[in-house]
Amino acid sequence: MKRTGMKRSLLTALAAAVFLLCGTMPAIAAINGITGTTFNLTAKSGYISTAEGGSYLAWGYANGNGLMQFPGPTLIVNQGAVVTVNLTNALAVPVSIVFPGQTGVIASGGSQGMLTREAAAAGGTVSYTFTASRPGTYTYYSGTQPDVQVEMGLAGALIVRPGTPGQAYDHADSAFDHEYLFFLSDMDPNIHDAVAAGNLTPDTTSHFAVYWLINGRTAPDTMAAAGAAWLPHQPYNIMPMMHPGERILIRMIGAGRDAHPFHTHGNHHRIIARDGRMLSSAPANGADLGEQAFTTSAVPGSTVDAIYTWTGDKMGWDFYGHAGPGGETGQACVDAGVALAAGESLADHCKPFPVTLPSQETLTFGQFYSGSPFLGAMGTLPPGEGGFNPNGGFLFMWHSHNEKEIVNFDIFPGGLLTMLLIEHPSVPLMNP
Amino acid sequence: MRPSRSFWIGLSIILAACLLSPSWTVAGVNVQCPGDNDGDAQWATAGETQPGNTQCMHLAAGDGFVTMADGHLQYMFGFSDVTGVAPADVMNTGMLAAQFPGPTIKVKEGTNFYLTLTNVGMVMRPDLFDPHTVHFHGFPNAASIFDGEPMASISINMGSSLTYYYTAPDPGTYMYHCHVEATEHMQMGMLANLWVTPLQDGTDPGTNCASQKFVYNDGDGSTCYDVDFPVQIHAFDSNFHDLHVAVQPLPFALMKDNYPMLNGRGYPDTVNTAALPAPGENGGKDSQIVSSLITATVGQKVLLRVSSLSTVDYYTLTVLGIPMKVVGKDAKMLRSSTGTNLSYLTNSVTLGGGETYDVILDTAGVTPGTYFLYATDLNNLSNDSQDYGGMMTEIVISL
Ligand SMILES: [Cu+2]
Ligand SMILES: [Cu+2]
Repeated sequence: MKRTGMKRSLLTALAAAVFLLCGTMPAIAAINGITGTTFNLTAKSGYISTAEGGSYLAWGYANGNGLMQFPGPTLIVNQGAVVTVNLTNALAVPVSIVFPGQTGVIASGGSQGMLTREAAAAGGTVSYTFTASRPGTYTYYSGTQPDVQVEMGLAGALIVRPGTPGQAYDHADSAFDHEYLFFLSDMDPNIHDAVAAGNLTPDTTSHFAVYWLINGRTAPDTMAAAGAAWLPHQPYNIMPMMHPGERILIRMIGAGRDAHPFHTHGNHHRIIARDGRMLSSAPANGADLGEQAFTTSAVPGSTVDAIYTWTGDKMGWDFYGHAGPGGETGQACVDAGVALAAGESLADHCKPFPVTLPSQETLTFGQFYSGSPFLGAMGTLPPGEGGFNPNGGFLFMWHSHNEKEIVNFDIFPGGLLTMLLIEHPSVPLMNP
Repeated sequence: MRPSRSFWIGLSIILAACLLSPSWTVAGVNVQCPGDNDGDAQWATAGETQPGNTQCMHLAAGDGFVTMADGHLQYMFGFSDVTGVAPADVMNTGMLAAQFPGPTIKVKEGTNFYLTLTNVGMVMRPDLFDPHTVHFHGFPNAASIFDGEPMASISINMGSSLTYYYTAPDPGTYMYHCHVEATEHMQMGMLANLWVTPLQDGTDPGTNCASQKFVYNDGDGSTCYDVDFPVQIHAFDSNFHDLHVAVQPLPFALMKDNYPMLNGRGYPDTVNTAALPAPGENGGKDSQIVSSLITATVGQKVLLRVSSLSTVDYYTLTVLGIPMKVVGKDAKMLRSSTGTNLSYLTNSVTLGGGETYDVILDTAGVTPGTYFLYATDLNNLSNDSQDYGGMMTEIVISL
């Protein structure tokens, strides 16, 4: 299948991201969002873009008087905080917010709707107050005609942080070096087109998604910089980055109509919590009941927290490309003066690369291929090949394994897909 | 297809004499298998010695035809096993030899596993020059170079070979598939079973396990089984395949499967223990050799290695009349981090694409007879418009 067109747009979209790869490293990669105890959101409309060039009317929550955005602002609060969300409605239909997983939510103002109090069309307001009693990953979305309004984009993430920084919950099993939001959704453009044509109550029973998104973007836009000027209504990106041995916290939210089996290349992830609750046999036992998986489903309305790490252990060869002066391996190679990289396992130290790679004219090269099998190394590639892996990192696709979902309509690749970047320990990470 | 490929041909490749650069070799069929001198990925020839702890395999990637249970002839892409074939014969042997599912790979934990993939091209689509890969789906701590995901690594062009290496580090039920243009190549059938057996096999952990076969290194015999069977979920969208062989534009997002299958067949073909009749369009090469008939004698523990490589839908499987004990998920034994056994009994398992389950059926006390394993999303009990068949097979328990 020809994919020349996609390659071009991949190159375009990634140019900004690669620029940022060379930047400096923040101490801990934080999830983009807004913090505090009082949030002023406005429901309004705007247009979201798909990576193959589509543009669709969407509704979303804006931060204050800002632009409508999808997903809505990620609300980041501290455990125990009394949180107030004031919603102003700039849409032509009533709108509300529900906070699944929060208890004791007090809604005030507006008028009573089916699931909660609603802000009236065209300027109405409503407020919600609750105590963020438990840490975890949660979602929020419209409780008003949600079949239409959530499809249109009125949904977001809520993160409640525990007292201990660098943890998702009150246990070291949830400690992380980097954390990323994976807000997984799907989109049926027919519904958006119907709303754009003035039908505010379109039929959603025949919903048939042809777009699949992470944090509101389709690949390769997922990997472009956060806040990219050309995606004004989709400010959140997703391109996880780490060094060997570091721990990534995956905060995954099923935010669409369908479940999506999310597959992490490179290694398993360990599920530590579901719906904001650690998988514990007892509070002191951490995530002892959490299972390891290479594919985990994001089920609509539910959340999963998982820890991903990658060490390269038991690879059977030295992925740093270390070589003993006399062919030594293991401790003998250390003794011969070849030091281990940080965290490298002694077992594979200085073991040679096990095969001979085919000659270049027999190969097709990926845009993220460095030209070398070794971490942190660059190899020679034919002109025009590679180019999006300036530090010789290892990249692994994280994607929906219902593979139909990694397209943008009829163009592959796209959709619910991003790349994990593992950089050499000496290379600073930039988390765009 | 990469148009830029044509630009490389004829280029003289100057390689930097960098410490980190591996050496490069020439084009063509090229098996890399330690101790194998004649390139057939075996040690059958005089003078060849199989090194310890080493296993080799040679797969061809190409196209071919399979037959759906209602008789519909289906064009596909797939893998075939060319292990033991002389290099000069590999292209001819591998062409139009695609199998569905591909050859099962079974390797013992800790083995140095060399898998050579030769791209024999798509005979029915001479307009295409697609490369292929093997993705060892679920293998832990992988390196990009052997991950088979083409954006982050390399894929092999027509007429040439690429050798993958893994140590098969952890036991369990995995899968493999081509990852090039994954939506397309996987829908087209480049899918197969991949199992890693544990070091504990052949040992006695002090429990009653006469077979000395285990799913995992459980330490207590709790994953003991007597016989194991593949239960790999596939489904085809015949419209997609028919458009493909007709060289028409392909509908990705509108993909809709209408042939739900187990191990590449719909019921009742699933219970046929023989290879299905080879389509003439294949030149008589068998393309569906994996039966899904599950047989055991009363008292045996039956391991179902359940996996899904469906590209569109979730599926739920049940076994009518025999409880299903789930002992593993995604090639990991169900154990808490402190060692508590978290296996559980159920009547169904649900899989999205890319998930696996290890399910043990304990037939102690089970009345001999025929039991059914099928998709509980009952619309999947169909072969296109033939509304009896699809994702179902039989479990025959005898005395
Ligand atoms: Cu392929
Ligand atoms: Cu896979």
